[in-house]
Amino acid sequence: MKSVVQLKDEVVAPADGYRDATVDSGARRVITVAVAGNPNAGKSTLINAIAGSRLHVGNWPGVTVEKKEASFEHQGTRIRLVDLPGTYSLSPYTQEEIIARDYLVQERPDLILNVVDSTNLERNLYLTVQILELGIPVVMALNMSDEAQEKGYRLDVKGIEEMLGVVAVPTAATRKSGLDQLLEAVVATAAAPKLRRPKKLNYGYDIETAAELLARELALESAPLLERFPERWLVLKIMERDEHVLRQVNFGDEALLERALHHLRSEHGDDVESLMAEARYGLASGLTREVLRKPELKKTELTEKIDRVVLNRFLGIPIFLGAMWLMFKLTFDLSKPFGDWINDMTGGPFKHWASILLGAIGAPDWTVSLATEGVISGVGFVLVFVPVIFLMMFFITFLEGSGYMARAAFVMDRAMHAIGLHGKSFIPMLLGFGCNVPGIYATRTLENPRDKALTALLIPLMSCGARLPVYVVFTGAFFPRSSGTVIWSLYVMGIALAIVMGLIFKKTLFRGEAPMFIMELPPYRMPSLHSLCVHTWEKGKHFLIKAGTYIFAVSVLVWFLLNLPWGVENRKDSYLGQAGQVMAPALAPLGFGTWQAASSLITGVIAKEIVVGTMGEIYAPKKEEAKQEFKPFGEEVKEVAVSFGKACRESVSNVVSTFGITSLDTQEKEERSALKGMVLKTFTPLTAYAFMAFVLLYMPCMVVAFAMRQEFNGWKWFGVAFAYQTVLAWGMACLIYQGGTLLGLGG
Amino acid sequence: MTNLSMLKPGDRALISNIGTKGALRRRLMDMGVLVGEEIRVEKVAPLGDPIDIKIKSYHLSLRKTEAEEIGVEVVQ
Ligand SMILES: Nc1nc2c(ncn2[C@@H]2O[C@H](COP(=O)(O)OP(=O)(O)OP(=O)(O)O)[C@@H](O)[C@H]2O)c(=O)[nH]1
Ligand SMILES: [Mg+2]
Repeated sequence: MKSVVQLKDEVVAPADGYRDATVDSGARRVITVAVAGNPNAGKSTLINAIAGSRLHVGNWPGVTVEKKEASFEHQGTRIRLVDLPGTYSLSPYTQEEIIARDYLVQERPDLILNVVDSTNLERNLYLTVQILELGIPVVMALNMSDEAQEKGYRLDVKGIEEMLGVVAVPTAATRKSGLDQLLEAVVATAAAPKLRRPKKLNYGYDIETAAELLARELALESAPLLERFPERWLVLKIMERDEHVLRQVNFGDEALLERALHHLRSEHGDDVESLMAEARYGLASGLTREVLRKPELKKTELTEKIDRVVLNRFLGIPIFLGAMWLMFKLTFDLSKPFGDWINDMTGGPFKHWASILLGAIGAPDWTVSLATEGVISGVGFVLVFVPVIFLMMFFITFLEGSGYMARAAFVMDRAMHAIGLHGKSFIPMLLGFGCNVPGIYATRTLENPRDKALTALLIPLMSCGARLPVYVVFTGAFFPRSSGTVIWSLYVMGIALAIVMGLIFKKTLFRGEAPMFIMELPPYRMPSLHSLCVHTWEKGKHFLIKAGTYIFAVSVLVWFLLNLPWGVENRKDSYLGQAGQVMAPALAPLGFGTWQAASSLITGVIAKEIVVGTMGEIYAPKKEEAKQEFKPFGEEVKEVAVSFGKACRESVSNVVSTFGITSLDTQEKEERSALKGMVLKTFTPLTAYAFMAFVLLYMPCMVVAFAMRQEFNGWKWFGVAFAYQTVLAWGMACLIYQGGTLLGLGG
Repeated sequence: MTNLSMLKPGDRALISNIGTKGALRRRLMDMGVLVGEEIRVEKVAPLGDPIDIKIKSYHLSLRKTEAEEIGVEVVQ
C-alpha cells in the first residue's frame, strides 16, 4: 500500500498579486515535483519550508522511508512535492532506493528537485549524475549553504549549472533562505521542459561506445521498451545487469548484451557495474574539483570535538546510558504533576459539571452514568498520560534532530550485532519506547529483510508510552518513593528480554550471516525550538487521535460490557466480568487471578493504555460515593486554575529534585486518586510488579498488529510475535510471583 | 596485505582494492569507497566495533568484517 499523505493546503500568496477566481476554475495546472537526494540532505525540511507541511525530519540518514507528498498553490498552479526516501544511489539494493527510482522512472514526474548537501558535494553529485540519466528536467537545491559558508566553502553555482545543464539555487532550508528563487526556478523549468533537458554526461569512450551499440540494437529489436523507459537510463541499467530492471523489462537477450559489452569487457574486465560506478564518481569528483574551493586551513569542527567525548572508548557507553536515564527521569518527573492535575480535574469538576448538565436537560440516570463513568473517565484516564507522552516524544525528537541517534547506533552496534541485529535497529527500537507503531515503520531503514523482521519482532518488548499509564498507577500506589526506579527496571526488563529473544531467534528463525553496517555519521545540529515543537506535536498527535477517537469508543463499549446484561448489579456478573472470570484461573499462578485484572487485560489488547481505563471503570466507586461534597461552580473553576499553577510549580521542583533536592509535596497527592486506592486493596507490591511485567510483555496492541501486517504483507510475523510474547509474559509474571513468594517478598 | 580493519585511529591510508562482490561492493562504492581514495581512521567504537572513518570529507562507519574486505596502503 502506498501512503501518500495529503498535508496542509497552504495558499502561498503570489508576489505579483495576480490571482483571481478564474484561475481556480477548470484547467488548473499541476506540476509534480519529485524531491530526490542523499539521505539527510534536508529534503523533508525543504518541503516543509516551502509547502508549510509537517513531514518527519531528523538528523540521521533514513528518516523518510516512504514517499510522502505535500502540495500547495503557487500563482494559480498547484505544485505537488513528492518527498522520496533519501538514497546514495539509484542501484537496486535497498528498499528506499527501489521506491525512489521506481517513482522517478515509472511515474515520470514533471521535474526532479535534486536536494544536494553542499557540505558533502562529491558524494551528493554521484547521485545527481545518476538522476541526470533519466533525462527528466532537474532543478538543484544546493542545501545546507549556511553550513557550507561556515566552513568557508566557496561554490561556483554558475559552473555547476553549465556543466550539468540544470538550474542550481543555494538554499538553507532551516533558515528558509533561497526558497523563493528555488520556487521560481521550479516553475520556470516546468514551463519549458524541452529547453531544460539536462546535459548528457560522458562516461568515457569505452562505456559510451558500448552504450551506443546497445541502444541501436535495442531500437531495432525491442523498440517498445524505449518508449516505456528513459532510453539512456535503460541502456545503462541493462549494461550494469541491474536485476530489477532486467526483470521489469523482461530483457533476456543475452547474446545482444554480450555483443554490446564485448569490447568493454575485454578492455576493463568483467565487472561492468563497478566500472560504471567509477565512471560516475569520476564525473562527480571532477565536477567537485572544478566548482568547490575549500579553505586551506581547517579548524577542528564542533562535531569532532563532541564526538571525541561522546564516542570515547571509556565514556561512550556510560554517556549513552546516562543520556537514556536522564531522558526517562526528566520525562516522568516533569510530567507527573500535570498528569495528576488532569486526573483530578476529570475525576472531580468535569464529572460534576456533566452530571449537572445532563440532569438539567432531564436525561435519564443511565446516561449520566454513561457520560461520567464511561465517557469522561475513559477519556480522562487516557488524557492523564498526554503530558508523559508528549514529553517523551519531545526528547526523542531532540535525539533525532541533534544527530545523537546515529551515534547511539554506532556505540550500540557491537552489542546489537551480538544478538544478530544491526546498530541501526537501535533507532526503531528507541522509537518503540515512544510508541511501537512508528518503531515498526522505522524498520524500513534496515536494508535487509532478515534484520527488519527480527527488529520488528523485538520492538514490542520496548516499553511504549501506552504501557506507562499502567506503571504510573501501580508504582504510584505501591512504590511511591521509588516509582522512577521501578519503572526504569521494567524498561530494563524489556530490553534484557529482547536480548535473550534476539539470541534465541538468531539461532532458530534467523540463521545465516548478519548483514552489513555501513552508515553515515551526520554532523551534530541544534534543532530549532520551533521544529522540535512541530515534530513533537506530530508524534504526540497519533496518541491524541487514538485517545480522541477509538479509545473513546472503546471506553464506551467497555462501559456497556460492564453494565450489560441490563440492570446488572454486580460488575462481576457483567459480560466483561464474566469473560474475566473465565480467564482468571489462567492468571492465578501469576498472583493476580482476579476477574478485575483479567478483564482489564482483555481490553488492553486493543491498546495497552486501556488497561488502566478499564480498571478505572471496574473499580469506580459506586454512585453514592461519587456524590461527594461539591463546591459552587465558580469556586470549582478557580480550583482548576489554582491547581494547574500548583502542578507547574511541582513539575519544576521535581526537576530540581532530580539533581538532589527532594520535595515531599508529591507524595501526599497520590493517595487521593481513587483508582490507586482500589488497586492497593486487590494487589500486593509483588503481584503489582508481576502484573506490570505481564502488561509489558503480553501481545502487542491492535495498532502494532496492523502495522506489522502492512510492513510484512501478511500476518506471519505478527503471529510469531503474538505467540512468543504470550508465552514470555506468562512465564515472566509467573517467575516473578512464584520466585518472589519463595523469597518471602509476597504478602 | 594490510586491510582497513588493521588500522588504528589517526592512521591514513589509500584504498588499494575492494575484495568483495555484489551488494556490499556496490554499497561501498556508492558511498565513495573506491580504489585510490584516501581515508583516515577516526575512531573505534567503545565496544571495539564498528569503526568510524573519514572519506570524501564525511564520516562513515562500518564494521570490522566489512573493513577487512578493503585493502589499503598506509601513508605516512
Ligand atoms: N544547517 C542546516 N541544516 C539543515 C538544512 N536543511 C536541513 N537541515 C537539517 O538536516 C537534517 C536532515 O533533514 P531532513 O529534512 O530530515 O533530511 P532528509 O533529506 O529528508 O533525510 P531522509 O529522510 O533521511 O532522506 C535535519 O536535522 C535538518 O534540521 C539547512 O539548510 N541547513
Ligand atoms: Mg526526509
